Amino acid sequence: MTFDERLAAIRAGMIGHGLDLIVAVHDGAHFIETPNPVFVLSGFKSLGPTAFVLPRDGEASLIVTPAWDAERATDCCPKLRVVAADDVVDALEGTCSRHLSRSGKIGLAGLAATRWDIAGRLAQMLPQASAADDIVFDAAAAKTVEEIAHAREATRIAELGYARLIEIARPGMSEDALAAELRWYTKTLGAEDNFLLLCAGPRNAAVAPSNGRVMQHGDILVAEITPSYRGQLAQICRTATLGPADAELKHKYGLLVRAMNAGIAAARPGVPMASVCSAINTVLETEGYGEYCHPPHIRRRGHGLGFGSIRPGDVSLDNDTLLAEGMVFMIHPNQHLPETGYLLCGEPVLLTARGAEPLTKQRSALFEIGL
Amino acid sequence: MLAMNSTLLVGPSDWDAVRMPKAEFVARAAAFWRDNPPASGTIVYGDRVNHAELAYLTNFTPKLEAALALIPRDGAPQLLVGGGVNMLPAARPLTFVEDLRPLRNVGSTVAKWSHEQGGGTPVLIGGGFMPYALHQEIAAALSGEMDDKTAELRRLMGRKRARELAAQRETCAALDAAVAAMRAAQGSGADVTAAVLAGEQAANRRGAQEVRTLFSLDGGRTLRPFDTLVERAVDPLQVYVAVRKLGYWAEGFAVLTASTHPCARRAHAVLRPAVARMQAGEHCAELARSIAQEGLPLHPIAAEVVGNAIGLALEEHPVISTGCDNAIEPGGVYSLRVGLSNPRGHAIVSAMVAVHDWGNEVLWFSPEPAR
Repeated sequence: MTFDERLAAIRAGMIGHGLDLIVAVHDGAHFIETPNPVFVLSGFKSLGPTAFVLPRDGEASLIVTPAWDAERATDCCPKLRVVAADDVVDALEGTCSRHLSRSGKIGLAGLAATRWDIAGRLAQMLPQASAADDIVFDAAAAKTVEEIAHAREATRIAELGYARLIEIARPGMSEDALAAELRWYTKTLGAEDNFLLLCAGPRNAAVAPSNGRVMQHGDILVAEITPSYRGQLAQICRTATLGPADAELKHKYGLLVRAMNAGIAAARPGVPMASVCSAINTVLETEGYGEYCHPPHIRRRGHGLGFGSIRPGDVSLDNDTLLAEGMVFMIHPNQHLPETGYLLCGEPVLLTARGAEPLTKQRSALFEIGL
Repeated sequence: MLAMNSTLLVGPSDWDAVRMPKAEFVARAAAFWRDNPPASGTIVYGDRVNHAELAYLTNFTPKLEAALALIPRDGAPQLLVGGGVNMLPAARPLTFVEDLRPLRNVGSTVAKWSHEQGGGTPVLIGGGFMPYALHQEIAAALSGEMDDKTAELRRLMGRKRARELAAQRETCAALDAAVAAMRAAQGSGADVTAAVLAGEQAANRRGAQEVRTLFSLDGGRTLRPFDTLVERAVDPLQVYVAVRKLGYWAEGFAVLTASTHPCARRAHAVLRPAVARMQAGEHCAELARSIAQEGLPLHPIAAEVVGNAIGLALEEHPVISTGCDNAIEPGGVYSLRVGLSNPRGHAIVSAMVAVHDWGNEVLWFSPEPAR
């Protein structure tokens, strides 16, 4: 899919829902779990609050704050009318009235996640607007050619980041210091951001943000390394030990890898996402871990990858989204087992006509950091 | 100054009971209660991007998902941490608050807690930063309009207590190390990315929790965040660096160049007397006018706003501009900038200044280019 094809699909959705205008808003707080409709519509990753005004026909507008960042937006999005603004809601009022008579029907995307001091005013300004999130994000369920290329590059950076992690992680180093160094390192490779969850312990309850804990010999180090390359995230989930791993850990990790591979094999165009989750669960259930395949032990077995759209959503039993070519998402069993605690294992995949293609060169394997 | 925020915070944020004992936070809350006698308690919101008020009262930095502190006028506070029960162990070292719970069922939790405060009405802090949906949920739970006291707390935050000033001095030292490293790298011919990242690494190694940078590829005319590798050297290189350490921010602008730079020298010549004017009681509007009245063409980024208070938030009240009604206060820490722009060159330089009853203390000053 190209960006223009996606925009055409969104406009077709507008016609189908009788909308004259879509207003998309984002407050500039970029987060892996929060889809960004402005980024989907423009490809512009903002410093501050932004909005996108898409009429059914004609020129679209991108409202950018702070005003001095408008030139960067223009360079990024030469086909758009860029409006430099100090206040996104004030600028939206002028822009919407330009496009629309009082009787025009408006759809709003991104409102629920936008911070209150913007969203509250926007909701008051457009009380009759309907939710248009699905129109925008459904059209972005498959990544564009450019986004896929960026996901590949982000994956390459992630793998180099992991190589660096196993090179430098040592007892005596704090989780925070390791995370800061790794984040900096992936930036030197071109990742403008990194959702880097990293923690270590003899037995982890979950993967969590790093803190000041000093790593010890024998720790199990779990990491979600998630660089963003030009606004497209990719993630690898890895587990390493500081020193030799015992036989039980190796055996259980092998189980997770088998579960992951079953999930990858199950992911094909036309199947519901739930069946990917089910395939992973079956491997674990067969080994007697059925109880651990559900909350509170596990919430999902993977997820979409933003920062734009996070469709096709979670790899979970309640997700009936039909998989389609061009989708990019994570398949990660990431599992708490009573014998070992939480272990990470996962790859980013691109769904092709033949099935799920991991973007990584090397799949998850338990690594014993030699000390 | 707005720069790109990160999707997940890494970097040391553990509570240091020696630097900031619990008594410090108790005293801060006591000052707030004195100023707000009707409040039975306060609900304080914070997330990765906006958490100054939450950190001020609990030390907690939400690295991943948002958090909500429920602080009664009398009794022990609770901290509701996003991400599920398995995130609590990682969150615990970051705060003195002992009662940590998952952030879920927010409406009913807040309603129950509010009822337990003996019939009074709690006030809200950080409400403007809450996602729209969360704000609606809490408003419904508390049956109507919530009294937002963020501005009142920010007024208290504006006067830095001794321990805060000590932290901010350390942060300025980290800023200085960052800019010095950038200057050294740029001076030795490093490309833009290498120079900027040399600074970020220097700050990380000084214990920075967060580093945000902007740089210019057009001689200082515009600024941009890191979005891709820039593998060419640029001279002059205008940079902006913001460093957060021990919770406190310091920011600085600098022109890095091996040559003479008349525009930067002129900007420094304007900055020096402006810094000298930063005394308790000086009107912000007058200070801003004194810069404008030099009659030099101001840089668009520093034309309207020439500075602001700074601390746990990158931009605190007051913002120093010709339209500001406030005065410089003793106990405040400020960032002050001078930006000039003409066809021959552009430059933004700045200083960090602590204001005392007896005068001011320059915590950091933009390095001057070669003569």
